[in-house]
Amino acid sequence: MTALAAEDITLLELVDRVLSKGVVLTGDITLSVADVDLVYVGLRVLLASAGTLDRLAEEASS
Amino acid sequence: MIGAAAQTAWYVYGVVRVSDARVAGVDAVEHGALAALVERVSLDEFGEDVLPERLNDRQWLEEKARAHEGVLVRAAVAAPVVPLRFGTIVRERDDVASLLARNEEPFERTLALVDGRWELGVKGWQSEPAVEDAGGPASGGPASEGAASGRAYLEQRRAERRRADVAAGERATVAAAAHERLLARAVDGVVNRPQPRELTGRDDAMILNGAYLVERDDDALGREVDSLNLEYGSRGYSFELTGPWPPHNFVVGDDAA
Repeated sequence: MTALAAEDITLLELVDRVLSKGVVLTGDITLSVADVDLVYVGLRVLLASAGTLDRLAEEASS
Repeated sequence: MIGAAAQTAWYVYGVVRVSDARVAGVDAVEHGALAALVERVSLDEFGEDVLPERLNDRQWLEEKARAHEGVLVRAAVAAPVVPLRFGTIVRERDDVASLLARNEEPFERTLALVDGRWELGVKGWQSEPAVEDAGGPASGGPASEGAASGRAYLEQRRAERRRADVAAGERATVAAAAHERLLARAVDGVVNRPQPRELTGRDDAMILNGAYLVERDDDALGREVDSLNLEYGSRGYSFELTGPWPPHNFVVGDDAA
């Protein structure tokens, strides 16, 4: 078993775990990030960088 | 609130036992038996007014998400840790302590659950199904021309749809069977939504995106992945082990606050 290593992880894996999982704490002492849909944000960033968002937009308008 | 000073807040990465407060090499706020792994961050980066824009910046997001994972990984190799979702931020240092106080019970339960264990991922893939020739196995008769071609076309479409349904059913069956076998080798396991091709950039379709909590000294899950590959490989399926990861998928009492 290899040791845990953060270097080789793709942004997609980070979205799948760091942005999608873990304990979500809400309430009056946490700041606004708690209200942000991070999964949506992460996927949108990934799709935009893959050029997919443009393609999907083109398909939708044609 | 306007003011040049005190424009900072506290980013909370995760929670450990107070005896492990130093494992990740970051600042820690202690409360009772628990310690939060924290870092002072600038509201220029994480403030409510700038954050929406920052989150759209791939480079920023990747850097911060990687830093978040890095702290959790450093903690997880050495001690049980409760991973928090990316971007958990509180304004005052005292708020961190109240956050620990409020969630003491679920944090303790998660620490007990993940102690001596870690998370492994298993991805199942199906290679691009071979394209069958028109008039292949499902058409079952000599191709008819002329007047019959309309009906033949409809028949062919129906057969294609049947084949697609059968293929989807088989995929689901294989994914469910694989998960069940992997789960039998783990303390716990969850199935997450498979990542779409647009994001994986692979020709193969992801059919299983599982996460499993296993004892660190137990490699039974890895062996199960090997057997799955042996058994299903000839049918175009493959399985891949990832991790170990901090136990992102095995936190108790989500949304407790």
